[in-house]
Amino acid sequence: MSETIERRHGLEAFVAATESVGGARVEIDVLTGRGFLNLRLDPRKGNGLETAARALNQPLPLTANTFTTGEHRVYWCGPDEWLIETDEERATRLGSDLAKALADCHAAINDVSSGHVALGIAGEDARTVLAKGCTLDLDPREFGPGQCARTGLAKATVLLAVADDAAGYTVIVARSFADYLCRWLANAARPHGVRFPVP
Amino acid sequence: MLLIDCPWCGSRAETEFSYGGEAGIVRPADPDALSDAEWADYLFNRTNPRGAHRELWNHAQGCRRWFGVERDTVTYRIARSFTLPDAAGAADGGVERDFETGDPTDAEPGDRR
Amino acid sequence: MTGAQPNRLPTGGRVDRSRPLGFRFDGNALQGFAGDTLASALIANDVQLVGRSFKLRRPRGIVGSGAEEPNAILQIGEGATAQPNLRATQVPLRDGLVARTTRGWPGVRFDVGAINDTFGRLLGAGFYYKTFMYPRAWWKLYEHAIRRSAGFGAAPTAPDPDCYEHMNAHCDVLVAGGGPAGLMAALTAAKSGARVILADEQNEFGGGLLACTDQVDGAPAAEWVAAVVDELGDCADCTLLPRSTVFGYHDHNFLTIAERCRDHPDGSADAFSATNRPAAGDDSTAGRQHDPRNGRTAKGPDDHPDSGAAAGHHQDTVQPVKERLWRIRARQVVLAQGSFERPLVFCNNDRPGVMLASAVSTWINRYAVLPGRRAVVFTNNDSAYRAALDLTEAGAEVAAVVDSRRGGAGELGRKALDLGIPVLQGHVVSDVAGRQRVSGASIARWAGDGWATVKPTMRIDCDLVVMSGGYSPAVHLHSQAGGQLDWDESQLGFLPAKSVQANVSAGAGNGKSSLAECLADGVRAGAETVSKLGLEPSPIEAPAAGNIDENPIEALWRVPAVRDADRCPKQFIDFQNDTSVADIKLAVREGYRNVEHVKRYTALGFGTDQGKLGNINGMAVLADILGKSIPEVGTTTFRPAYTPVSFGVGAGESVGELYEPVRKTAIHEWHEAAGAPMEVVGQWHRPWYFPRDGEDMHAAVARECLAVRNSVGIMDASTLGKIDAAGPDVVEFLERIYTHDVGLMKVGRCAYGIMLGEDGMLMDDGVMARRGEHRFYLTTTTGGAANVLDWLEKWLQTEWPELQVYLTSLTEHYSTIAVAGPHSRRVLDKLGCDIALDNESFPFMRMKPATLAGIPVTLFRVSFSGELAYEINIENSLALAMWEKLMDAGREFEITPYGTETMHVLRAEKGYVIVGQDTDGSVTPVDLGMNRLLSNEKDFLGKRSLRRPDCLREDRKQLVGLLSSDARTVLPEGTQLIDEAGSLARGHRRAKRPAWRGSQLGHRSREPIPMCGHVTSSYQSACLGHPIALALVAGGQSRKGATIHAALPGRDPLPVEIVAPVFYDAGGQRQHV
Repeated sequence: MSETIERRHGLEAFVAATESVGGARVEIDVLTGRGFLNLRLDPRKGNGLETAARALNQPLPLTANTFTTGEHRVYWCGPDEWLIETDEERATRLGSDLAKALADCHAAINDVSSGHVALGIAGEDARTVLAKGCTLDLDPREFGPGQCARTGLAKATVLLAVADDAAGYTVIVARSFADYLCRWLANAARPHGVRFPVP
Repeated sequence: MLLIDCPWCGSRAETEFSYGGEAGIVRPADPDALSDAEWADYLFNRTNPRGAHRELWNHAQGCRRWFGVERDTVTYRIARSFTLPDAAGAADGGVERDFETGDPTDAEPGDRR
Repeated sequence: MTGAQPNRLPTGGRVDRSRPLGFRFDGNALQGFAGDTLASALIANDVQLVGRSFKLRRPRGIVGSGAEEPNAILQIGEGATAQPNLRATQVPLRDGLVARTTRGWPGVRFDVGAINDTFGRLLGAGFYYKTFMYPRAWWKLYEHAIRRSAGFGAAPTAPDPDCYEHMNAHCDVLVAGGGPAGLMAALTAAKSGARVILADEQNEFGGGLLACTDQVDGAPAAEWVAAVVDELGDCADCTLLPRSTVFGYHDHNFLTIAERCRDHPDGSADAFSATNRPAAGDDSTAGRQHDPRNGRTAKGPDDHPDSGAAAGHHQDTVQPVKERLWRIRARQVVLAQGSFERPLVFCNNDRPGVMLASAVSTWINRYAVLPGRRAVVFTNNDSAYRAALDLTEAGAEVAAVVDSRRGGAGELGRKALDLGIPVLQGHVVSDVAGRQRVSGASIARWAGDGWATVKPTMRIDCDLVVMSGGYSPAVHLHSQAGGQLDWDESQLGFLPAKSVQANVSAGAGNGKSSLAECLADGVRAGAETVSKLGLEPSPIEAPAAGNIDENPIEALWRVPAVRDADRCPKQFIDFQNDTSVADIKLAVREGYRNVEHVKRYTALGFGTDQGKLGNINGMAVLADILGKSIPEVGTTTFRPAYTPVSFGVGAGESVGELYEPVRKTAIHEWHEAAGAPMEVVGQWHRPWYFPRDGEDMHAAVARECLAVRNSVGIMDASTLGKIDAAGPDVVEFLERIYTHDVGLMKVGRCAYGIMLGEDGMLMDDGVMARRGEHRFYLTTTTGGAANVLDWLEKWLQTEWPELQVYLTSLTEHYSTIAVAGPHSRRVLDKLGCDIALDNESFPFMRMKPATLAGIPVTLFRVSFSGELAYEINIENSLALAMWEKLMDAGREFEITPYGTETMHVLRAEKGYVIVGQDTDGSVTPVDLGMNRLLSNEKDFLGKRSLRRPDCLREDRKQLVGLLSSDARTVLPEGTQLIDEAGSLARGHRRAKRPAWRGSQLGHRSREPIPMCGHVTSSYQSACLGHPIALALVAGGQSRKGATIHAALPGRDPLPVEIVAPVFYDAGGQRQHV
């Protein structure tokens, strides 16, 4: 029965109220249909790393502040913590598959799909807009494709990632902060001209 | 605003961190065996030095790891960051940081470049 | 008068005579040109009087031409956008600008307050402190009147409609100051491949070069500047920030810059300069290479890019940014902020028409305005001769150069003599005539003793006195960064010495005086910084510039007067704060010796001055009086901000709805649509209560409470913190954290758990559930969620790394919906639940995964109301749908949504505490009567502290219930409780105000009344029909049945009875049905 219920990401009201302004040097998109899994695992112990990689069909990034792309995106969040971004409908299944595969390891897998909202920030002034609220050095030489970082954006904590194709940034934010962060982004982007793609 | 080297994520602004007080305060193995004075010493007394101070920081907005920092309480100069002993009792040597350039001198996973 | 500009020179300067700009000053319509500052436009219109001094209300005119200006502190703009206390010398003129003076009543020309000057001798340092001390309580009244009469500008009362923003940036080299040294340093660094940001506070780069007549590289200085700025603009990694003041140098090379985006001649703004100016270096991500035409260079006022295409692009819809705060982390910093010229300290040196020599040259050469027709130039060094030459060149008469040095000047002195300018060597200006404008100068012989008395030998009529006491390097940022200063006896100034952070000083700010030296020093500083970055310095030669042979400066800290310092006309050191030589003498006489104390007693260097104009003169005079050397006296501490910064730019975007994050639950929209007012808890917005038509809060809460007690209510409890704890050692870990025996919990069981700080004080509480052999689900308070997770991680990571436990926050993933009340089971049954819900199958304090209305959920049979209740954990994306289904299913039971207020009443009726409301970090579980939660079988955090002597005191404040004796007074939360009411009641009747304040308010004989506790929670209980309260009372647990008194403001103390803190269903049967 649950499949008949429309899932909500919590930004419906915000999206409905947005108005694009001026020439769109910034695009803000609410990326729907994403599922998220949180994985805790000690990469130095046993064969959990390989097991997880097999279950995901892609490696876990071991270099700090990077992510791997394959069927899913796997973000490094800490030396024993990863966030797996996948399709919403696959998340539950993937989570239980992982849990089964890692049953013999000291690992923790939690479905946190409903706890995160992903935003796409693109356009030629995207970086300038992010720099208004983020203390990271966003210069592509310092923070380029394939890199990600948990950091602060305005007064929220986010996971910021640079898409492989350099087309823009992905901002993953805790659900309860998403409305605030979108308002902040819209305000910061307004002087540049901002476009909100119709979902 | 301090620039703090997280041993994993590299240099980040102070606003991403939370402070955890003096490092190396070990919880007594058997608190019940301690006198009130000994327990109070563990609980309240800190060295509060003028100069080099080893202290705990948490990269709260980043990797959420606790780590150690050696900071001068007069100049705020940070001599180095270091990881804490893990289960095996081992800690790496920490990220030595050259203050003049602000760069970690050895390559760590979270190195700037 | 419009358009007259009597003091405007016909040619020259960097103003655009084809673009006249109208403005108003104190109501008068005046005109200036594009390229003017407000100050230069005022001088063009022969406005001499720009304010009254702060204390003595003396008429004042413009003294300087930059950040050091002490007198022309004006109110700019009107209404909500007005800005107080701007220095006219730093306000670019724009069309329609409105400025007014802020001191002087009824006006600046005739000011009744000027009587202060007549009695000026009485108004020495510390006058207000000494005079307005008694009675002490009246200081508030005095202070108000004194501050009003001091007359700084007025802050607007309406909200600021302007738009401000913050911008974070990183660079290899930040160059502060765009004069000759700064430009060369930036060029050297940029050409060497460094990421460079060059910031200058003026509209145009060039600094002093814009006001000089020198040649650089064979071209007029201004042309050379334009070429260098172009070259910098062409560098891939150079960001140019004109109109941007580096005002703070903080720890670890973090600097703050205030950029005034809207200071444009035609009043337009950069609707969006950041559009054109990538914040963090080049913008290759977006495929846009840096384009110098698009705003990263500012070649001059005519050419400002931001008024052009970019603005037109969005102007209709976009409010332009007024000011931008740059927060910059620089790996290296070059400080090239130049120097400040010092005034000379002679009688009446504050009269309008007494100006700094450098300012006079700036007025003439940069702005083409002539500040006087007949001048006397007074100096102790060579630089002022430039002003004499500039004045002569511009057509004014220099009646005399008065040079204290017997040897006079070098090459510039010979030039002056060649032009026929009379030079009086070994002389000083001892006094100035004229009140609202200079009319003459008295000249006396200088014998080398500043404290001697002299007789003037002549008087020269003039309308301008030009002064130069030498230059003080602007060491502010170097000093803010923690760097040391060294006194240089040959230059008579403090020079930057050892740096503590990664910075170097260059140019005039580094003690270089000639242009050639400054240019070369800039190259050196640029090369030095890039070398430190590991880059190969680009081989750049400093351009050629003339080196002029100069004679050394002579110390002349106080000019002798006709009488001694106490009785002669005022010799001002700090114009803005009316600090004179006599004030410093007085301060010393009254026992102040330390320079920091003298500063505070005399206000020397306060206000916008911050040690720019009068600092060195003040220290030198103090040293002289104390018989010490200047380095022995030392300098005061420089702190941010270098120049005043607006509140708007400090706040940035964090205003209005963006002031603080608003965290919303997944059901938030429903609450809003239902009209619930929100209570802010942490950053969460939680529904407070759900009023029906016409209900006030009390009525709504009473209805909601009764619904829960009698039927069923529904609450959004999603803000509680939720943590998954998993791992082989999870039981051992939680045993150490929680006070109860965690290991005894069976899978599927819930328990109320509390955790203590190591000091034994209650830190947080919540229900925990055992989900599996090695897996627990923990809940925390709403406000404690993040702290608890950090706290647990701290122990795991720092103290017990051997424990294998992983913690994952689930707060953001799950909503929690509480369905509470006798009919709650029927609501769930009606909705269709796949597990049996009866009391046998699913008893109190159990947890089970289930499917409700076909949706997977986790059900907890827990209760925070004392009723039969279920908490439904459901993932957020489906939570609103579940809530709506529950509302539908509950309709026949009149299911009632309730908010935080009702939740508080219900839990208080049961005596459940709220951490942070009933506790305050000084309350142990024993104080709360929670002894049964404390395991005897194990150690846990904070356990040992419970045996500390203070925690064993019998008179500790303990949790109790209170009942008002009148059965109707709801005690205000925070009400103080006292044992004895007698004396207090009498006091009340006599004093008609609460007598416990008697000791402060005249009832000196009465002892303060000890209080024995305070009310922590207090509500009207709808189901009991009377008020209830929880309180912390000394020794309260053993005083049940006793009557104490609540001290209520404005009325007699109310007797209250101490009872057990459980008011309803003490046996707890209702939740077990």
